[in-house]
Amino acid sequence: MSRDPAADVLVIGSGAAGAAICKRLSEKGAKVVCLEQGDWVDHNRLPKAHLDWEVRGRRFWAANPNVRRWPADYPVASEGQDPVDVYMYNAVGGSQIGFAGNYWRMAPSDFRVRTLDGVAVDWPLDYEELAPYYSINDIEIGIAGLAGDPCGPPRDPLPNPPAPIGRPGTLLVDAYEKLGWYWWPTEQSITTRAYRGRPACDNRGWCTFGCPQGSLSTADLTYWPGALENGVELRTNARVREIMLSPDGRAIGARYYDKDGVIREARAAVTVVACGGLGTPRLLLLSSTPEHPDGLANSSGLVGKNLMVHVQSFASGLFDDPVDGWEGTWGGTVSTRQFYETDPSNDYVRGFVMSGCRGWSPLNLALQMAPWGSGHHKAFDARINHEISLYMCGEDLPEETNRVELDWAHLDDYGIPGVRTHHQLNENSVRLGRDMIAHAHTVLEAAGATSVRDFGLAPIWGWDLLGTARMGDDPKTSVADRNNEAHDVPGLFIADSSSLPTSAAVNPSATIQALALRAADKIWERRRDWITPT
Amino acid sequence: MAYDRKQGQHQIAQSSRPDYRLEVGRAEIPVGKPRTFVVLDPERAVTLRAWTSTLIPAYGLRPDAGSIGAAEYIDATVHLVPSLRPALFRGIEEVEQIARANTGHPFTECTGAEREDVLRQFQAADDTDAFNMVNDFTYEAYYGHPEVLGALETENGWRGMAPMTGTAMSAFDPSRLSRVLSLPPRYRQVPSDKGGDR
Repeated sequence: MSRDPAADVLVIGSGAAGAAICKRLSEKGAKVVCLEQGDWVDHNRLPKAHLDWEVRGRRFWAANPNVRRWPADYPVASEGQDPVDVYMYNAVGGSQIGFAGNYWRMAPSDFRVRTLDGVAVDWPLDYEELAPYYSINDIEIGIAGLAGDPCGPPRDPLPNPPAPIGRPGTLLVDAYEKLGWYWWPTEQSITTRAYRGRPACDNRGWCTFGCPQGSLSTADLTYWPGALENGVELRTNARVREIMLSPDGRAIGARYYDKDGVIREARAAVTVVACGGLGTPRLLLLSSTPEHPDGLANSSGLVGKNLMVHVQSFASGLFDDPVDGWEGTWGGTVSTRQFYETDPSNDYVRGFVMSGCRGWSPLNLALQMAPWGSGHHKAFDARINHEISLYMCGEDLPEETNRVELDWAHLDDYGIPGVRTHHQLNENSVRLGRDMIAHAHTVLEAAGATSVRDFGLAPIWGWDLLGTARMGDDPKTSVADRNNEAHDVPGLFIADSSSLPTSAAVNPSATIQALALRAADKIWERRRDWITPT
Repeated sequence: MAYDRKQGQHQIAQSSRPDYRLEVGRAEIPVGKPRTFVVLDPERAVTLRAWTSTLIPAYGLRPDAGSIGAAEYIDATVHLVPSLRPALFRGIEEVEQIARANTGHPFTECTGAEREDVLRQFQAADDTDAFNMVNDFTYEAYYGHPEVLGALETENGWRGMAPMTGTAMSAFDPSRLSRVLSLPPRYRQVPSDKGGDR
């Protein structure tokens, strides 16, 4: 077996978290190796580099790996009463390469859910501890927006101005003003002006279909160029099979199949798992040993448990007049956190956000609403350029029964098992979701919609896959500690979406990356304890 | 893609049921490129073309799906994904059988209303995902085609070229926030003592 020279830190996964860790540690002088099971995505192949971008989005760029079937993808089964339609990418940049760029900080109360609302768990850290890292991350990625939102703590000015909101956003502003609600331009990881060598967004829209000009701040464009410049060695097409341990139980690296399918070993003083909400528990469960028969770092039994996905839906309002629904960034209008905090008068706890989007694009709209046959065009014409949409995102509380498991019946190209997800919205989530959708109808009607349709609560839009190896102070109820180190395995860090103890009610990318930067600093602070394996 | 779901009837693509989507991820077929049939014989090809034109007929400036190559697009897809061919062949045969049983004519010689009846009868009985596959591929070939996108802009004002060219837009007007900025903070202050795990 080929053994690579030992590094200081081995990072498994090159997505939002892994990329941030690699750059942060390499800036400080650590020798870092990153293993990524996918490859770089050729920007010429991004759907939006082509006029038929919607079609390419259903095939090559399909967010569900079962459809897309890139060589690095593994099978994912979706089970449970409210199954998750899993959206993720296995490539340099991870699932960020297909995200819409909505970029939120969590609120201080999100870190104290148990204390404030009596449900779920508290985080082992608070907002103030994470805030400096949110700020570092804002600068790294070039976040667009405005400081001063009264629905969040004070913060520094943002590096880029908010994206234009167009007519769809203006209609929503009018509605919020009429209702007297709080609203604010949506923060996005989009360079709305030229920033660090990347061009200003020119409002091509439909951001999840890729951004060929590079204005969408995905990890392959934000953290990776600097990380590579700092000397990080990124090995693509490296499929990790298992974490390796020393005889005394320390993590000392990983075994992986290289691009030719040959098994290799990558050794390091510190091993970081950053494979996402499904990939991280998959790897930990695969890395069982006689001393860890139920999977690595799993003495709590919680590896793969507490899968959270957010309570999500869309509502679309139909307007008499054209809405210019084709212009601008997809999520780049305005949002409301009017209902973010727990309201004691509700029959549920926690809350939700609503973010304005554009209209639906032609193919998506036709598949949604225009039946085939002689009535097709009439149904289509009634809605194209006459609808605007609201995206709703509510907090999904952790439940041990919502989980990720290995699926030995469905294997990837190298014989490594896929995963099964199992998810059911709990009663609190269902009540929250119903109220969230009702409020979306209220907003769109206040904006002047003559009718509103929504997508209900299931199947779940699986953009956010969280909580499956959560942080905490108690080894009995968490997998990793407050510094992201596994309770059970010295030298093994888990820092990605799986680390989040609760989901909050916002898109998680900013929190994932801020937490990753903090974990990198915690790793570096203990560099004198590093034992480099031979 | 992630927004791609049918109102009220979305099913997740997974191997627990017949689903053409599980086969097409690696089949990149550019829409609107001139192409000829390579899998279907001429008889089946004309049936499929008529099928696609029935799914999306002509309307105003917009052509019917068959005339802009939807059937050839489907043929090109199954050329790259042979596993989808049996469902397509069986679907074409069943459509022809239903047409002859209903009208005594081949599908291509049926009236528009008769064709719709035939396809609805086939759709109701289909348990192979063939109808769904042909339907969705036809929509793809239609709404990715430059001629259709051009007609949409003329007839509906939908600027289908905007994702290629970008759009000049006015900057956000911060003065709209004056009322919100006058409101008190709306987030909870957090006590320093934290509770335990559940």
